[in-house]
Parts: sequence; structure tokens; C-alpha cells
Amino acid sequence: MVQKMKWLSALMALCMIVLSACSSNGDSNRETASHSGSEGEEPYELNIVFPIFGGVPTDLQAVQDQISNLALEKINATVKLTPINFGAWDQQTNLMLTSGEKIDLMMLSGNTYPLKVAKGQLTALDNLIEEHGQGIKKVFDPAYLSASQIDGSTYGVPSNRDLATNYSFAMRKDMVDKYKIDVTSIKTLDDVEAVLKTIKENEPTMAPLIPSAVGASIADSYITYDSLGESFGVLPNFDNGLKVVNLYEMPEYAELLNKIHSWYKAGYILKDAATNKDSQFDLLKSNRGFGYLAKTKPGFDEQESKNGVAVVSVPLTLPVATTSSITGIMWGIPGSSNNADKAMQFLNLMYTDKEIVNLFDWGIEGKHYEKVSDNVIKFPQGVDGTNSGYNLFMGWLFGNQFLSYTFEGENPDIWSQMDEFNSSALKSKALGFIFDVDPVKTEFAAVTAVSQEFRLALETGMMDPNKHLPEFISKLKSAGIDKIIAEKQKQLDEWAKSNK
Amino acid sequence: MNAENRMIQSVGHITMIIISGACLIPFLLLVVSSLTSEQSILSNGYSFFPQEWSFSAYEYLGKASEEILRAYGITIFITLAGTATSLAITSLLAYPMSRRDFPIKNQLAFFVFFTLLFNGGLVPTYLIYTQYFDMKNTIWALIIPGLLMNGFNVLLMRTFFMTSIPLPVIESANIDGAGEFRTFFSIVIPLSMPIIATIGLFQTIAYWNDWFNGLVYLTDPQLFSIQNILNRILTDIQFLSSGMADSRASGSAQQLPSTSVRMAIAVVGAIPILIAYPFFQKYFIKGITIGAVKG
Repeated sequence: MVQKMKWLSALMALCMIVLSACSSNGDSNRETASHSGSEGEEPYELNIVFPIFGGVPTDLQAVQDQISNLALEKINATVKLTPINFGAWDQQTNLMLTSGEKIDLMMLSGNTYPLKVAKGQLTALDNLIEEHGQGIKKVFDPAYLSASQIDGSTYGVPSNRDLATNYSFAMRKDMVDKYKIDVTSIKTLDDVEAVLKTIKENEPTMAPLIPSAVGASIADSYITYDSLGESFGVLPNFDNGLKVVNLYEMPEYAELLNKIHSWYKAGYILKDAATNKDSQFDLLKSNRGFGYLAKTKPGFDEQESKNGVAVVSVPLTLPVATTSSITGIMWGIPGSSNNADKAMQFLNLMYTDKEIVNLFDWGIEGKHYEKVSDNVIKFPQGVDGTNSGYNLFMGWLFGNQFLSYTFEGENPDIWSQMDEFNSSALKSKALGFIFDVDPVKTEFAAVTAVSQEFRLALETGMMDPNKHLPEFISKLKSAGIDKIIAEKQKQLDEWAKSNK
Repeated sequence: MNAENRMIQSVGHITMIIISGACLIPFLLLVVSSLTSEQSILSNGYSFFPQEWSFSAYEYLGKASEEILRAYGITIFITLAGTATSLAITSLLAYPMSRRDFPIKNQLAFFVFFTLLFNGGLVPTYLIYTQYFDMKNTIWALIIPGLLMNGFNVLLMRTFFMTSIPLPVIESANIDGAGEFRTFFSIVIPLSMPIIATIGLFQTIAYWNDWFNGLVYLTDPQLFSIQNILNRILTDIQFLSSGMADSRASGSAQQLPSTSVRMAIAVVGAIPILIAYPFFQKYFIKGITIGAVKG
């Protein structure tokens, strides 16, 4: 134990030296600063932890080596990539954080982020960004970068991707062509209804409307309020003078449910929508579904079409940026990092260095992709998404996606469109507010349970809202939703005061 | 009398047939699903009589064999090594505890019994194994934590030794000049095959089916056992369907194996243990009854 403490203090001293060396050079030039600050030092190994789906790519090591080479040259650091499966993510990262295992950079997601901050597991990044993260600051609208602040300090930097969200109606392209549906004329849910009717009449075996994902309801993908975290207490129209209201008591909500229920009765919605276990792609592929309401972003159609069935979508709402649309995916530096400065310097590279971003996103040139032109790439001969040695394709995760190449056949202007999408988005009045559930966690658990019982069946149209919505509301009330809303209002008021 | 007997018999048989059917039918459905073409699962759901049979799931496994084969190798290794070590440790601890002339047997028994009731909890356990024993991402992490020795097995074996090995046998070995080790290996062990087979089976199943250690201690897929791979696929799917993943993740959904492949992996994971079971069976029943009576 004593031995350990000695080492720890030695390390701390080392960090201090590095810190002062870096800051003495100022931020006039990041790269030279780190070069001169690190002469003769051992390169520091950064442990980068991030989630993946499916198997670990076989060439991960090769990509890691290439990134390390670049990082060694630029900031005298090497990287170690530690991918963890989404399924094991919460469990493993929790254990790593509570046991103080060394992690220098890790992905944070909005729903568990406040708890990690409350436990003191993350380092405040404000000074580090000032010192080493000027590149990060340049990338973001200040309002977006500060959206993750808790008590005035930033603990996470969002990845630069689609930071706003709008909701659209996505349809099978073959059917749209077959029935000559004029997609540009679809603007509202009533227009959608007309399309559903056409499909129902002409394709009796196909469900015109399916859920946008397994376990999602229809109303989940048509949202006109800021959910302020989890929809128990919302801000209608993303403003409402910062007055939190109960979503389930809003007349608009009842109206939407009535519409969905009438669709269900008319046979427009997949019969077992509430219990369906097949993904939207499988439903489309097997000709069981026609379209779905979805959360969208520029490039959505191409992304969805990759799964086998070509899809076209038409927006029904305008893009809006909320706290959760921004904090969904962030990067943070855990307290267990031995060298937060190096970690921030590397994070800065992930937002400014095109080579590093593309190594993360697409792998190694010549091996995993070939260049068609400057910013457009394709798979080399004989390689495709399933047999490529590096097939993460998670550009939305690794720093600045806007520096990423685009694939041949996709829209090469996607990033300027995305930028436009983000900057034109309406900013919710509560952008930057993060609700701390802790004071009402008993009520929260009870309300969640009630909501699970009713919500899916109501929002997919299976239950009649006239009969069951009042029951749902009264059960929510006895579970304590009003207390959650009051607490949320209180926190929101305090937040508004300190942010004005 | 005879008629009544026959009725009891047939009622018993019917009950047993229903119970074994309840166990077998889901497994049969699993096997059939793994042999059904993906398209017919998607459009018709699971069925015992699929529209279209297909071996494509097993062909896929054959192609992706490197990962699966390696995982199989890992599973077989940890099962064999773990079971053997575990049996050695368990019997070597249980034997002295069973001897009435061993002075601290009660204290030892309490020590073992204590671990049945209390443990350190996940986080401290994780801390100890990863930071003091450096077991993270090593094969040891699959063998040692939680599985290597189980207090219940020790007590079961001790009871067997106490009740089924007559003291005079041990005494006569002693009189004939056998030392403690000779007595143990040449007299006690051969007489204890039922309990050794029983606990061996417990341990084999525990090691074969274990995914928790892999989930907690491994991030390196090179060390994944077959159950870890299966578990990883299932939790990924659960995550995708939990609604936490949004449209961003959908691009990744295509990388997950199809339904029939999942079924095929489950079949491949379960079959070896099914084959091993009958070999243990004749000892199994004997071992567990003798060990359990007169606690």
C-alpha cells in the first residue's frame, strides 16, 4: 500500500511537471508546444475506451498502430484502443471507473453521464479545453459545446455529428415509385394518412406503418416537445416559457393518440406493433411493412437503404437541438487518467486532424478503402462491409465526423448539409439543462414502471385512448409524476437563473 | 390392487412425459430454427415445420470459423483445466475436514461455510482480481474467479467421505503401513468415484456455461469463450431493441448475425454438454443422494 502511494505521488509530480511545461509554452502553437514540452520523455500511452457492435475488427491492431504513429509524432503519445460491446458497456465501464482502472478517454452517453459526474469519476474539462483544445472550440457553436455543463463545468465534449434532430416519414422507394406517391406533398400527419390509405388498399398484406425500431412506439418518432431527459415533464414546442408540463395530460398528446388509434383500427399499423421483435429492416425486407416515422438527419435515406431496402424520407418537423440530442454521444476524461493534458491534446486531434479521424472512421488507405477523389472513397476490389478487416463504420463516434471521407455513391456534400442542418436548427429554450434524477428517484422508478405498462400499447394504437389514457394518467399521478415535474421545474428555474 | 398400481404408474408416466416434453420441445424448436432459412423465419416466424430448410447458418459458422473455433478451444480448455484443478482442490480440502481425528476440522468447516453465505460483492472482487492479481484479459480470469472452488461442493464431498468411507477401512490401511497420501490416493479416491463424478459434472457444466467472468474481466475478444460470444450477440441485440440506440446505431445493426445463425451458435454451444451428460449419469444419481443425506 505504502509502495503504491509512493508511486502515485511520483506520478502526480510527473504530471505537474508536464503540465507546467506545456502551459509555459502557451497555446501559440499546440504542436510545437507539446514537442518541446516532451523532449526526452517516455511517450504516454492513452487508453481509449469506446463501444462497438458485433465482433472486434480483425485489423484493429494495425489501425491502432497507425494512429499511434501519428500521435507519437504530434503529441508524443501512443494509443491503446479498448473496444467494449454495447451489451457489456455499462457493466464493464462501471467496474473500470469504480475500481480506478486507467482510462484516458472514454465515450459518455447522455443518460448515464450525470451520474458519473455526481460520483466524481470525470475530470472537469474547461481549463483543459482552453489550454489544449482550441481546435475543439473552433468546431462547435458555443451553445452546443456548453450543453453538457453540469453546475457550470463541462465534463464531456460531444462528437461533431448531427447535433439536432427532426422527424420524418420514411417509405419504401419501390412502393413509392409503383404508386406514384408525390413525396414532396407530404407535410403533415394527415398527408401521411393519405399515403397509408393508398398502401392499405393496394397492398393488403403489407402493414403501411411499422415501429421505427424494436420496442419503439409510433409516437416516439413524432416529437414536438423537449423531453428534458425522459419525457416525465416536458417543454411543449421547445419553449413554453420554461414551464414544465405533464406530457400525458396535454391535449396534443391525446389528439395524437386518437389519430394513431384510428390508424390502428383502420389496419394501417402493424398488428403486433407493441410486441414486435423484428427490426424495421427485417420487416421491410420480408415485405411485411411499408414505412415508419423516424428520427432523421441529413444522409438518413442512404444510411437506412444500406440495410437492404431503398428508403426515401420526407421531413415532418423542423430540426431542433436539445440537450439530449447533443449529449447523446460525448467524450470525457475519467479521473483515473494519469495525464489529462495528453488526453485532451489527443481529443483535440480527433476534432482537427483529418488523417486520425479517417483512420478511426474507415481504417487504412489501400487496405480498407481506396480513394476515388480527394474526399470520396470506395472499397478496394474484393472487399465489402462484411469482410473488411476494419468495419466499425462509426464516424458519428470518433470526434469530428465532418472531417470524414464520404463513400462513393453517397452525397459528397453531406457534411456541409449537416453543418447547415445543425446551425439552422431551432435551439430548445432548455438547451443545456440536465435533470438530476437523484432527489426523486423512488418516484422515478415507480413512474417508469407505470409508463412501461401503458405507453407502448397506447402509442402504437392497440389500446383505446378514450378508455385507457385517463387510467394511465391517474396511475402516473399516484406513482408520483407530479413530484418529478415539480422537482424538474425547480431545477430548471435554478438553471435558468444561473444561465441568464 | 394391480389395476390401481397400473393407474398410478400411467399417471406418473404421463406427468413425466409432459415434463420432459416441456424441456425437449423448446430445444427441438431451437434446432429446427437453426436449420430454417432466414427468409422464412422473417415472414412466418418460428415453426417446427419450416417452409424452407437451409444449412446456411451452419455454413456461415463454418466460414466465420476462426472466431468460433478459437472460442470453442478456449471453452474446452477452461472446462478441462478448471474442472481438474477444481476437483483436486475440493477433494484435498474436503478429505481432512472429513477426518474425525483432524484437530481444526470444525474451524475449517466454518471457514468454508462462511463463504457460502457472504462474499465480497462485485466491485471489491473485481478490484482484487484486476489490480492485485492482474487477471484482467488473461485466461486465468475465466478459470479462477467464482468458479474454481465452491463451498457447497466441498461440504458435499466432506459429507460423502464421512458417511461412505468406513473408518475401519482407513484404519486398516494405516495398519498395513500406508501413509496419509497413500491412503487418500489408493483407498479413498477409488471409493469416491460417485461423488467425484457428481462434482466433476457440476463443475464441467459451470465452466462450460459460464459467461459472467468473460463479461466482467475480458475486453480482449481473443479470449472469449463460446458462451461469451453468444452472450455478446444477445446483449447487442437487446441493446439495439432497448430503444437507447437511435438511428445512428442502425447502420451497425446489419453486422449482427441473423436469427438462424444465433440459433445455430446456441446449438453448437449446447451439444457437447449434452453428449457428455450420459457418461456421468450412472454416477450422478448415486453421488448426489449419498452426499446429500445426513448433512
